[in-house]
Amino acid sequence: MSLAMVSLGETRRISEFTGKEDLKRHLQDLGFVKGEEVKVVGENPSGMILLVKGVRIALNRGLASKILVA
Amino acid sequence: MSITIALAGNPNCGKTTLFNDITGSKQHVGNWPGVTVDKKEGIYRKNRQVTILDLPGTYSLSPYSAEEIIARDYIVKEKPDAVINIVDGTSIERNLYLTLQIIETRIPLVIAVNMMDEVEAKGDVINCNKLSEIFGVPVIPIVARSGKGIKELMDAAIEIANAKKKPNYLDIFDDNISGAVERIAETLEDPKEEDRIWKAIKLVEGDSIVTDSLPENKKAFVAEMIKTAEKSADGDTEAKIADLRYKYITNTVKKAVKKGALDHAETKSDKLDRILTNRILAIPIFAAVMYLLFSFTFSENFLMIEGLPSPGIWLAGLVEAGWGTLTGWVESALVSLGASDWAFSLVIDGIMEGIGAVAGFLPLVLVMFLMLSFLEDSGYMARVAFVMDRLFRHLGLSGKSFIPLLMGFGCSVPALMASRTLDSDKDRRITMMITPFMSCGAKLPIYAMFAATLFADSNKTLIVFSIYMLGLVVAILSALILSKFVIKGETSSFIMELPQYRIPTGKSILIHGWEKVKGFAIKAGTIIFASTVLIWFLSSFNFNGMTDMENSFLAYIGNSFKVIFAPLGFADWRASVGVVTGWIAKENIVATFGQLFANIEDEAVLEAVMAGEEALPAIKDVFTTVTAFSYMAFNLLCMPCFAAVGAIKREMGSWKWTLRAVGFQMLVAYIVALLINVIGNLIF
Repeated sequence: MSLAMVSLGETRRISEFTGKEDLKRHLQDLGFVKGEEVKVVGENPSGMILLVKGVRIALNRGLASKILVA
Repeated sequence: MSITIALAGNPNCGKTTLFNDITGSKQHVGNWPGVTVDKKEGIYRKNRQVTILDLPGTYSLSPYSAEEIIARDYIVKEKPDAVINIVDGTSIERNLYLTLQIIETRIPLVIAVNMMDEVEAKGDVINCNKLSEIFGVPVIPIVARSGKGIKELMDAAIEIANAKKKPNYLDIFDDNISGAVERIAETLEDPKEEDRIWKAIKLVEGDSIVTDSLPENKKAFVAEMIKTAEKSADGDTEAKIADLRYKYITNTVKKAVKKGALDHAETKSDKLDRILTNRILAIPIFAAVMYLLFSFTFSENFLMIEGLPSPGIWLAGLVEAGWGTLTGWVESALVSLGASDWAFSLVIDGIMEGIGAVAGFLPLVLVMFLMLSFLEDSGYMARVAFVMDRLFRHLGLSGKSFIPLLMGFGCSVPALMASRTLDSDKDRRITMMITPFMSCGAKLPIYAMFAATLFADSNKTLIVFSIYMLGLVVAILSALILSKFVIKGETSSFIMELPQYRIPTGKSILIHGWEKVKGFAIKAGTIIFASTVLIWFLSSFNFNGMTDMENSFLAYIGNSFKVIFAPLGFADWRASVGVVTGWIAKENIVATFGQLFANIEDEAVLEAVMAGEEALPAIKDVFTTVTAFSYMAFNLLCMPCFAAVGAIKREMGSWKWTLRAVGFQMLVAYIVALLINVIGNLIF
């Protein structure tokens, strides 16, 4: 399922990214790599705040929906 | 021997704070990613042979946005004698990702682990000696905000630079990738082995800039090698490389870092975020913050208390009274010296009146800047950008565009530079075209002047507020139209690190405020001074010598513009001259009006003007409330000052886009002012 569907407070593992190459690279640079744990620590109409490798990163909903998690 | 040391690190890791510590300079530090958008140079204050370079923050050496390319190009192409890599100790895993890539360039390196105080507070223990042993570089713990560890850091960096000591070769990749890297490196022609290997790694990663720079005859071979490597990496070498780097980091962190019990606990920042980025509360809170910011600056009835001036208004009153007294002294000094008519006129009507008009508004600008920098330093700005993202997406922009726009309330020049942090050309161009619609600090005096002269006390705040809102509304409509019909394309995604909230240090805020006020003071002393003298000359002379204003050169010039501005409701020649002097600096309009409308012979009027009771009564003869509003709107929206146009040119990188931006702004200004004049006269 997509990261956008994970509810607040839950932790999931990243399995795939379905978006464009340069975005994928940028997400990897920020710690969004396959197998990495992400925790949803915030949510609002713009998107979600995720805890990845000890850092809080905000993503808009459209982008979060391109990240698949297991 | 002189050496150059570059500071590199993730955005918001404390680089600029460290730079200020090392060089004793006063660069602005904000608590949101992207404060340093250009590289800055300074000298180590304890050794003048050492040049320090502050590079823009970057998450990796595979650059994603424009300002990240500056950092990478510098490290790889210019090759400083050493690099200090600042690592935020509170998020060491993510920060070491860049470190590994810097180590891959084989440049002499020192690692500074910053925010050690926060690391300790979290209960973590970082074993710097262990890290140093693994990477083969000195690792120094520091606290940049308090200056702790800086001396040791600089000693280590200078030693490394002089010894040209390279980091260890790290065994990060698996056999497939190492094999491909080796074979590609062998065919490259760069003289140094380390450059060949670095380029080969970037090629295997699929870095577009390095791939494009490859000679045509090599491209096929490289593609072949990558394909071979890909077969064993089940499809994607780039992802595999990122994965291997992070695995290496995880192992390293296991060996060198002991996580405290508080590691995954909810921080104060999380708690604040639950309120400040809350789905319902976020926007009302932001609106309240903005309202407070404005009332702190302009309110005549501060905190709803009748007759209590806000800090901004109170200070402005003090400065105006002070300047009035000063003008009085200068006047009597001139009289007792027996100054000639024209000398008296130059000093009093020209210089004192012109500069005084600007000086009186300086406190308002100062208070506004202090408030804005408090917001920047606290970390709130990054949240606002995120909260605004949804709204901005409807306009065809990303929430990141909000930061340049908000900074535009301070000054367009840094705001335009901040647009460099945006992730696509479309976002950048539209943002730059609408940033000058935000009322910058220099436009504030124009509104304050009209508000004081033409509008009742009870309406003043409302008038100033509504002109700010007008700028916002026009900016929103412009973004909509531009992204729908002119600059099409996909809106970039929103990805932004949210820094920990920090209480800004008084020092940082004062530095920021002082820098801005100094900028304004310098402007007042130089170009505004020069243009007041020029305006005085043009308004006091014609070909027959000294004359009254109505027959001067300036009246002649202003009158020739009248036709253009008549439909907007301000056909007076002095108003036309104001528009033109506004392009030199917007607050210059007030200086010009001060000179052209003040009736200095009338002592009572002069006193009232100086006391800020009634700015310039003579304006009433020319402007009605409607045409004054039209005039304010025109000056808000039309071409910004030349400094800002220069910034647009630099950031757009082309005259074509600069002219388009200015042309668009002129057109919008004309249409809006025309509408205000026509509709306003129907209603009032």
